[in-house]
Amino acid sequence: MPHLTGKHFFALLLLLPLSLLLASCAAPDNGALRFGLSKMPVTLDPRFSTDATSSRINRLLYQRLVDFDAASMPAPSLATWQKLSPLHYRFTLASERALFSNGERLTSEDVKATYAFILDAENASPHRLTLARSIERIETRGDDVIDFILKEADLLFPGRLGIGILPRALIESQHPFNRSPLGSGAYQLVAWPDDTHLRLKRRSDDLLLEFIEVTDPNVRVLKLMRGEIDMMQNDLPPELIRYLSNESGITITHGAGSNFAYLGFNMEDEFTGVQQVREAISLALDRDSIIQYVLGESARPANALLSPDHWAGAPALHQIAYDPAAAKSLLMPLGYTPENPLHLTYKTSSDPFRLRLATVIQQQLAEVGIKVELKSYDWGTFYGDIKAGRFQMYSLMWVGIKLPDIFRYVFHSTAVPPEGANRGRFIDAETDRLIEAAEAANTIEKQSELYQQLQHHLVQQLPFVPLWYEDHVFIARDHVSGYTIARDGNYDGLLDVKRQ
Amino acid sequence: MMRLWFPAAIFILWFVLALFGQLFSLSPDHIELSRILLPPDANEWFGYDDLGRSLWDRLIVGAQTSFIVSIAVVAISMLIGVTIGSFSAFIGGWFDHLIVRIIDIFLAFPGILLAIALAGLMGPGIDNVVIALCVVGWVGFARLSRAQVMTLKNRDHVQAAIALGASRSRIIFKHLVPLMAAPLIVEATFAIASVVIAEAGLSFLGLGIQPPTPSWGSMIRDGTRYMLVAPHMVLVPGIALMLVVLSVNLLGDRLRDWLDVRTRDRH
Amino acid sequence: MLSFVISRLLSALFVIFGVSCLVFFLIHLVPGDPVEVMLGESSQPADREALRAALGLDQPILVQLMNYFNGLLHFDLGESLHSKRPIADMLMERIPATATLAAAGLLVAVIIAFPLGIMAAMKKDTAWDSGAMFFSLFGISIPNFWMGPLLILFFSLWLGWLPVSGQSGIESLVLPALTLGTALAAILARMIRATLLEVMGEDYIRTARAKGLSERAVIMNHGLKNAMLPVITLLGLQLGALLGGAMITEIVFSWPGIGQLTIDAINRRDYPVVQACILLISLTYVVVNTLTDLVYAWMDPRIRLGNAQ
Repeated sequence: MPHLTGKHFFALLLLLPLSLLLASCAAPDNGALRFGLSKMPVTLDPRFSTDATSSRINRLLYQRLVDFDAASMPAPSLATWQKLSPLHYRFTLASERALFSNGERLTSEDVKATYAFILDAENASPHRLTLARSIERIETRGDDVIDFILKEADLLFPGRLGIGILPRALIESQHPFNRSPLGSGAYQLVAWPDDTHLRLKRRSDDLLLEFIEVTDPNVRVLKLMRGEIDMMQNDLPPELIRYLSNESGITITHGAGSNFAYLGFNMEDEFTGVQQVREAISLALDRDSIIQYVLGESARPANALLSPDHWAGAPALHQIAYDPAAAKSLLMPLGYTPENPLHLTYKTSSDPFRLRLATVIQQQLAEVGIKVELKSYDWGTFYGDIKAGRFQMYSLMWVGIKLPDIFRYVFHSTAVPPEGANRGRFIDAETDRLIEAAEAANTIEKQSELYQQLQHHLVQQLPFVPLWYEDHVFIARDHVSGYTIARDGNYDGLLDVKRQ
Repeated sequence: MMRLWFPAAIFILWFVLALFGQLFSLSPDHIELSRILLPPDANEWFGYDDLGRSLWDRLIVGAQTSFIVSIAVVAISMLIGVTIGSFSAFIGGWFDHLIVRIIDIFLAFPGILLAIALAGLMGPGIDNVVIALCVVGWVGFARLSRAQVMTLKNRDHVQAAIALGASRSRIIFKHLVPLMAAPLIVEATFAIASVVIAEAGLSFLGLGIQPPTPSWGSMIRDGTRYMLVAPHMVLVPGIALMLVVLSVNLLGDRLRDWLDVRTRDRH
Repeated sequence: MLSFVISRLLSALFVIFGVSCLVFFLIHLVPGDPVEVMLGESSQPADREALRAALGLDQPILVQLMNYFNGLLHFDLGESLHSKRPIADMLMERIPATATLAAAGLLVAVIIAFPLGIMAAMKKDTAWDSGAMFFSLFGISIPNFWMGPLLILFFSLWLGWLPVSGQSGIESLVLPALTLGTALAAILARMIRATLLEVMGEDYIRTARAKGLSERAVIMNHGLKNAMLPVITLLGLQLGALLGGAMITEIVFSWPGIGQLTIDAINRRDYPVVQACILLISLTYVVVNTLTDLVYAWMDPRIRLGNAQ
């Protein structure tokens, strides 16, 4: 007769979870510098990466021909260039250059193979479209020289060559770069064991760097305080940053950013398509208060997509005013008052901080007679809706914008998705004319002037309401030094970071 | 005495605030940026939230939300459950067999899981929350009333009513339901407690009441994001929720002892 | 015994079939067009048709049902709409985390409940007893999603003893397990007290007492052993609540299990994944309950020897 006594029962109950626990024990500390991320990169293959985190980490793993200077002008990186004719650029690789992390030398053939792969329509690279429009063919001349022959004159062509270079042999053998990246950058992959940990090694001094995904901001802050991570950048509500600033052993650095937040509208909609409505919305927003109280002073009010310090930016642009009375008087003739409001739906991502900003905007609009219903969605759904034009009004950010041809991509009448990102279906002859004229200009100065005119025109038309440029915040424990903040928020500071 | 007066007082407070809260002229959605995350003080006992909204105002409107949802869900579930359970037991045969099987299937879904799935599929909103919780809630009442009717239907006066040719619904609602009142009331009391938790749970997951309408669950969720800097945001709605649930459970316990009802233990 | 096992297995099979059907019909029972709900009200007809075809919703309902069951029998749960990965793989990745959490929660419940229940029974009608029972009612009344933040607030923030979340070693399991286990501990403690009190009135206990055994020995050797049966049944029944609670606990502690997957899938409107998760959890529950019943039968001689109905 089987007897189950209390003791046996306990033993059984104890054994089960303990055996499970032993199996799930974590890896020991390996002396790495640990960087907290709110979201892991999607792919470490630069031919396919589009999200910000992937691009930022890919900059550490790969080198690119061309980079940008402080005013967002193209600048030499892996190569210098000569413009032999408007349709012919010659790039010469630096003679002292890093090897690929497998020991192979990076040559012009690798550059050609990387760009040929992207240009091949069959590979469906998201970067193909912009490159395919300008590149006619690519020719190598020896190991160090590559010629790009263009279809049409393009003053800014070198700025388009910012994609990381991959080794040709591995491209041909269809190496899975997305999970096992291999480049000639300052860092190389050590391991990517699971969805929350990514380990890299700095090739110059074998410094270990570990990216750790911690979605929740509170938890990220606590992990930093407990020393479970050493540093992190952005994605924190200002209250938590203020909280951390009172902690000892933690240093907080702010840096001006160029990432641009805006309110977008559907121009085909019978309400948001009306210019007075958009103007009223722009006048109803108290951006200074939002920046002061909700963004914790870490943003600058924006009037245009490009920040004023961009070489094509428009510093003379007049400041969008906060004038609720003027907003009301614009809505009055249309029949809307706070008592009889205009109803709009406003889509945002379900990110709590974005939702919080949207709720403040909702209240400010209600005060002038626009009642917006907030709809928040998971990022994928939200972004899908925006691309498909399923919205009246939404808020979003442009991240890492360098080249002014963003204007064609966002505002030209031929750039309606899937061709471009004219998500609001903004069709305006004067805008098209200015974009085309700027592109055809034969000097940078002329181009800059035309783009500035365009930005003056856009702030009149208001196909979107510019909100602000968000600053970057880098927070680290005191033993981390040497990190500098980039304007676009990339992680290049990790190239020089040191542990004291 | 404490064991009765304390829960009764909390319950009555909840009831009164939910029904007459409007008299306070509340503005739960009023955003005041300069008051963001201000802690409690003498004027504002509960402080302000991450948008400078008064937590007191939001707490009271949240009380209304949880009260309306729980009363609606328990009333509807009870009506459906008692009807199905009583008829099933009374009619018997293959019909009863089928109902028992259906009840078994619904009981195979762990607690709040089915409600999460339904609320998730139907989208947020107070009506969808009520529907989702009723789909889960009727089963308990059906099982209880079926068991009750099984034992009660052999009583003399019920048999007499059957012999006199009274209609089934008349017998059930006139003769049987009054006899089951005590266990049903106890069951309903506990059901209120679990619906209050379930509604808050759905709102905590973002599947419940649509913001900005306050619900204790969504207030707790917002509060957890600012736990480090403003613990009052998570403590205020959480304590309110726990006090209400605890009181209702205590009252249920008292009621069970008082009415001398033996029911299955809570789960 | 054999007939009991067979009838129990048959009814479990029926429930499994019924649960699978109900999960299948969930998506059809939702008011309105599920595809429209997924894509939003202003979606393009072409997008809707594409998704309808991807979900197989354009086929006759019986064909859909056949395909669904055919897939289930081959452990083919389809693909995620979001990541395009096989759902079975996604579930397999998440099961260990949820199993660990549930097991740890169970352990916590048992560790708290037994001493509490036994103490309450031994000191019946004293302040100890009512204290323990009030405490357990407290445990039932604290929802997971508030208990979790509260524990984080106290133990991680104010005292700094324990990590907040993530799966970094055994200490990161403490707070989630406490959160999950408390409610079960409360129910279990009440149950243990009640059954012990019932059992202690039986003849053989009086015999044991008469033999001069200490009260402690009587409870530990005779009382507990006989109180075990109903407690095991209760544990089986409570597994449902435990799994439901694990879903919310996972959200609170960013624990990468099935619950997190379910909620993520709901937020992404990835309905096939939602269906698969619900099915997995409820089927686990059915299987465990059936096993509990069989263990109960095996331990209870009246059923094992076949002289009980």
